Amino acid sequence: MTANANENLLEVRDLVTGFDTDAGRVVAVDGISFSVRKGATLGIVGESGCGKSVTALSIVRLLPQPMGKILGGEVRFQGENLTTAPPDRLIKIRGGRIGFIFQEPMTALNPVHRVGRQLGEVFLLHNPGMSKRDALRRSIEMLAKVGIPSPEIRAGEYPHQLSGGMRQRVVIAMALANHPDLVIADEPTTALDVTIQAQILELMRDLQREFGMSIMLITHDLGVIAETCQDVLVMYAGKIAETGAVGQIFDRPGHPYTRGLLDSIPRMDNPRKSRLKTIDGMVPGLLELPPGCRFQNRCPYRTELCEKRQPALEPIEPGHAVACHHWRMLPPAPTPKQ
Amino acid sequence: MPLLTVQNLKVHFPIRGGILLTAKGAVKAVDGVDLVIHPGETLGLVGESGCGKSTTGKAIVRLIEPTAGKIEFEGRDLATLSRRALKPVRRHVQMIFQDPAESLNARHSVGNILEEPFIIHKLGAPDERRRRVRELLDRVGLPRSAADRFPFEFSGGQRQRIGIARSIALNPKLVICDEPVSALDVSIQSQVLNLLLDLQRELSLSYLFIAHDLAVVRHISDRIAVMYLGRIVEQADADEIHRGPRHPYTRALISAIPEPDPRRQSNRIVLKGDVPSPINPPPGCPFHPRCPRATDRCRVDAPALRPAAAGRAGHLVSCHYDL
Repeated sequence: MTANANENLLEVRDLVTGFDTDAGRVVAVDGISFSVRKGATLGIVGESGCGKSVTALSIVRLLPQPMGKILGGEVRFQGENLTTAPPDRLIKIRGGRIGFIFQEPMTALNPVHRVGRQLGEVFLLHNPGMSKRDALRRSIEMLAKVGIPSPEIRAGEYPHQLSGGMRQRVVIAMALANHPDLVIADEPTTALDVTIQAQILELMRDLQREFGMSIMLITHDLGVIAETCQDVLVMYAGKIAETGAVGQIFDRPGHPYTRGLLDSIPRMDNPRKSRLKTIDGMVPGLLELPPGCRFQNRCPYRTELCEKRQPALEPIEPGHAVACHHWRMLPPAPTPKQ
Repeated sequence: MPLLTVQNLKVHFPIRGGILLTAKGAVKAVDGVDLVIHPGETLGLVGESGCGKSTTGKAIVRLIEPTAGKIEFEGRDLATLSRRALKPVRRHVQMIFQDPAESLNARHSVGNILEEPFIIHKLGAPDERRRRVRELLDRVGLPRSAADRFPFEFSGGQRQRIGIARSIALNPKLVICDEPVSALDVSIQSQVLNLLLDLQRELSLSYLFIAHDLAVVRHISDRIAVMYLGRIVEQADADEIHRGPRHPYTRALISAIPEPDPRRQSNRIVLKGDVPSPINPPPGCPFHPRCPRATDRCRVDAPALRPAAAGRAGHLVSCHYDL
């Protein structure tokens, strides 16, 4: 690893994002800090409503308006503070140095424009003076790069004429068109079948190797995390529960929530028809968060302290931090299978 | 004796066109499926979107009319029964859907939803029915107070419990579970899978468990059938499918599952291309355009589902070059 690889491309400090609703202000992301290293992939994992997508949208300020607001903290991308950047500056950055891949390609693509024209727009917006003909030529090259067969023909088709996997390839082509330094991918393969997911993940890995970009990958699938990420952030109810290198998180999970998640996935080598371990109960609503630790109502190790005081993120080994009062007292994580 | 025997089931949806809306072709969603389910057993049915697995499930309970084939349940062919004759059979064959938000009537209280099966089948006096509703809620782990509330007041996992309670209300013999945990978060998914396993043991239910997630299906099933483009390409004991898959598609499907362990990244078989359209399925073996081992024979000659050359009894595979 070179010194360069440890440089941070993106730094998020104490980010707080909320939504003003009829029922009051809901704080969806509550003071989280993390960074994305140059050329590396950071995975953010958590269940519905944990704030992982809101984190991604906050970075490029694409929160639903007028309800969504960044209430505190800052986002620094290549040293520039994006939380205070003027709107026209953000327009340059989105689709330029930061590319986006969303879960459902059909909603990310405009159904009434041909694929080639939509992709060409990304080039035209960020390269003043480029001719439409050149933009179309570059689009076709990009479609070929993401593995779309007969790109000249596909460029003239509409999104509905493509399969789900092909559409997601088009969205990836759009995200990568201007060789971004960071790609934010929000559940990029969740809507796809496993054999197509395997194709898309392989494609993203190949393109990362070629372009050297950083990826922030948001997913609920721990398998996808294990396969693609170097660094992992586990989120729960708007806060970071645990963060570390992928090996640390999977081999020595320190937070009872992370352990619960890893235990509850049916694995191909579990005995069949055995009871799975579960995390009892469910995530508290963001409007009825308990004081103290947010995981307390589901945690087998809960004590009085957890009900009173929120645990801070504490380092438990270099590069590995856990937000649990009792991480020292937990039984050792089960030794990973060989 | 098997509980359910499905023979050569076909479901073709006509594509109509022109001014007279004459049939111009057909989507062959299910194209000759054979299945057997024994009492107390779980048969898993896996495949990717559009392979016809849900259509197969719905055709078995005749929510979709089959085009051809036999659906023999306890010796009676459901495919040819009239609606009236079908009704008493439906008590014994129930269904759980993927999205409980859509399959539960939003305007009815949970109590009414759970009481409805008894009313439809004219079973029990009102107070007896309400007692059964309370028992059902206990059984699926919901508070009794849930009876007076409405589906929207519950989380996804709880709504799926309501759907499960409704499906077991009349003590069925077979429950068709169509992607019952796909919409749920992992921590909730394991709770629901445990509930399904408990209910099976206590009520000696048989399940047809339809899902795209092979790890989930392997966990809950005794046997697994793998579907591709309207046909079954392989069928075997659940562990054998995982340890010794014989069809190239099953192999690719298993290798494509991301392993939740960063040190155990398997050698992946990445399939080229997409699933072909069931309107114009390729001639010969339906898998040949994506198969890494396809030969000229595969392009013209469709393989039949037959006993595998090796492996245990009951292992069926549909490949000319049974690996």
